Amino acid sequence: MCVSQGSSSSSATEYIVRVPKNTSKRYSIMAFNAGDKVNCSTWTQARMERDMSNKRMYSEEETVESGAGSEFGKKQREEARRKKFGIVTREFRAEDQPWILKVNGKAGRRFKGQKKGGVTENASYYIFTQCPDGAFEAFPVHGWYNFTPQAKHRTLTAEEAEEEWGRRNKVVNHFSIMLQRRLREQERGEDEEEDGEKAGKKKKKKKGDKGSDLRIHDLDDDLEISSDDSDSSLAEDGESKPKVKKENDKKGKGKKKKRKKGSDSEALEDSDDGDFEGLEVDYMSDESSSCVMCSGIDEASESEEESEEERPNEEEGKEEAEEEGKKTPVQQEKKKRRGSVLRALQSAPGKKRTPPKRAGGRGSGGSSRTGSRPGTPSMDSASTSNTLRAAASKLEQGKRQTPGASSSDTPAAKRLKMEPSPQSPSGKATPQPTSGKSTPSSSDVQLTEDAVRRYLIRKPMTTKDLLKKFQTKRTGLSSEQTVNVLAQILKRLNPERKNINDKMHFYLTE
Amino acid sequence: MSEKGEVDLTGAKQNTGVWLVKVPKYLSQQWAKAQGRGEVGKLRISKNQGKAEVSFTLNEELTVIDSVGDKGSQVHVPREHPFTMQMVGGQTLAVFTETSSGKAWGDKIALEGVVVQRAECRPAVSDSYMRLKRLQIEESSKPMRLSQQLDKAVTTNYKPVANHAYNVEYERRKKEEGKRARGDKQQVLDMLFSAFEKHQYYNIKDLVDITKQPVTFLKEILRDIGIYNIKGTHKNTWELRPEYRHYQGEAEKSD
Repeated sequence: MCVSQGSSSSSATEYIVRVPKNTSKRYSIMAFNAGDKVNCSTWTQARMERDMSNKRMYSEEETVESGAGSEFGKKQREEARRKKFGIVTREFRAEDQPWILKVNGKAGRRFKGQKKGGVTENASYYIFTQCPDGAFEAFPVHGWYNFTPQAKHRTLTAEEAEEEWGRRNKVVNHFSIMLQRRLREQERGEDEEEDGEKAGKKKKKKKGDKGSDLRIHDLDDDLEISSDDSDSSLAEDGESKPKVKKENDKKGKGKKKKRKKGSDSEALEDSDDGDFEGLEVDYMSDESSSCVMCSGIDEASESEEESEEERPNEEEGKEEAEEEGKKTPVQQEKKKRRGSVLRALQSAPGKKRTPPKRAGGRGSGGSSRTGSRPGTPSMDSASTSNTLRAAASKLEQGKRQTPGASSSDTPAAKRLKMEPSPQSPSGKATPQPTSGKSTPSSSDVQLTEDAVRRYLIRKPMTTKDLLKKFQTKRTGLSSEQTVNVLAQILKRLNPERKNINDKMHFYLTE
Repeated sequence: MSEKGEVDLTGAKQNTGVWLVKVPKYLSQQWAKAQGRGEVGKLRISKNQGKAEVSFTLNEELTVIDSVGDKGSQVHVPREHPFTMQMVGGQTLAVFTETSSGKAWGDKIALEGVVVQRAECRPAVSDSYMRLKRLQIEESSKPMRLSQQLDKAVTTNYKPVANHAYNVEYERRKKEEGKRARGDKQQVLDMLFSAFEKHQYYNIKDLVDITKQPVTFLKEILRDIGIYNIKGTHKNTWELRPEYRHYQGEAEKSD
């Protein structure tokens, strides 16, 4: 069938071209992108089917035809309506549907082949194959399908992608994005409700972490978390990478870690909020009377301070209420403890609440309060407080700033102080109160033990009243110092207590 | 035996190489007219100083186009068609076939091979080709719709009529039926129940049509046995009360 013609510089061979008439086979082109590195000879097994997922869109079989749920004349009405509005629905052609190609079974690759339009409009494509007899056979190409590989890895949905896009400048570690999504999904599988919230919370936390949104936190939990891995990562700039890596390591604790990460930075930022104010020790646990007094003093140090305290108590209560729903059981326990603490505190003063908060005053009040807060409400907190101490000390070291900042340490400090409070009210934590206490300006004429004794002998007084007597302007002490010194004095005096008008009064009998 | 969807990979494994050739429309039309075994022409491949030259020569008998329409003279399709060879670079092209089983295509899918060479079949320019092209252009430039002037006005459509046939029919029918009379209540109930067996929701107009009862009477009955809902999905329709309906399985009437 082929004729060779030799010539000087060229050789030509002729082949017969046939266009077979039988139409049993229809030829189509399967086009892959060169970058996908598809080598058909490596395929061991392949399956290909039409993708019929669009069928229901065209068939409109949703309405019930007869029997229950159907309406008389529904079809005609629908058709009339469509005609009126000129809605033309394209018919569903199976031939035009994309192909789904699965290569090498379950573990292999998946491709979607979409039909390319306009191929056969102006020119025809033919496939020339060489037959054993040397002739060429030409088959027309019926359709051209572009096959694209389909991703088997998890992808973000549109909403999630939009979220992440908004955070693209802040996110450093991209691996965590999918990881956390997977964690979320896991939890969702376990328990719907709880986990829904948790996931929501986790999401929020995560967002907050990365985006440094302000969030209400329980410093308790944050500190406990940090205590868990106090060694590893109290990186204060809140760098996501190490934190996130840790999160990656311990998925179970992932939530906590994430929260901690955010919380670290946030605890520091939130120092002015005074939500630590309420982190007081349980009033009713058995502590020395002096401590109780001290607590009384602290509460009543200044009218504003007290109201401030109650306000944070209130806030704390609210926060607790909010976060109750979200926290894990463990954390809930702790919250309850704190809740009990708060309630005890709230019951004790019973004064009116005033809105304005003063960070400075609160800070000092808080710190001094911590200084004199009595012991731990329960054993658990005792155990945690040890680690908290470590954590808190670390926090401090990083945060030797203003009193405002140091008040952020006070929550930790408070917890710490719960334990050793009788002896060293200041504990290890805040430098300020320590300094305040170490140098009590009791040298000043006004605020002395004798003065206090005189007052208490004369008539029973509340701590608030006492503080009023020793005003900062007159004594030259700062309010913090005043409180501390007064607390010390009261400890030494050990006055008797009486409840008048629901208020704790101290008095001495000569 | 391969099951549906299973792709026959023999061509891929053998790495059969094929050529993908783009052929002009007129040529493929001529090829469709091929007789016998389908021989359409000859392909000459020559190596000229290192470069491969491929050219296709159309068989004599296929060069004639039966031109449609006015011209008496026949236009000839050029015979020589050199191929322009191209690279397959940016894409990996494979060829697969679907075998029809009489009804549906796509029962058996086989991978025939991989495209190793792409080519374009170009006509060797000649006068006959130019003529052919000209014809083609003329044909394609004709508008699809044509405005034509008529000599006489069309008078066969509408004639003025005293009363249209349809109208007459309608009036007669109405008169014959007369006003709707209240039938026996039990009968009406039976009719209603059987209607509600077929569909759940009915428009009042449809029910009137079915039962041939005056509207007020029908409404009274319906108020007994059914409820009128201003449903979200269905506009104001009547349906049977829950205690009357049994829509799962056999429809039984409870009374």
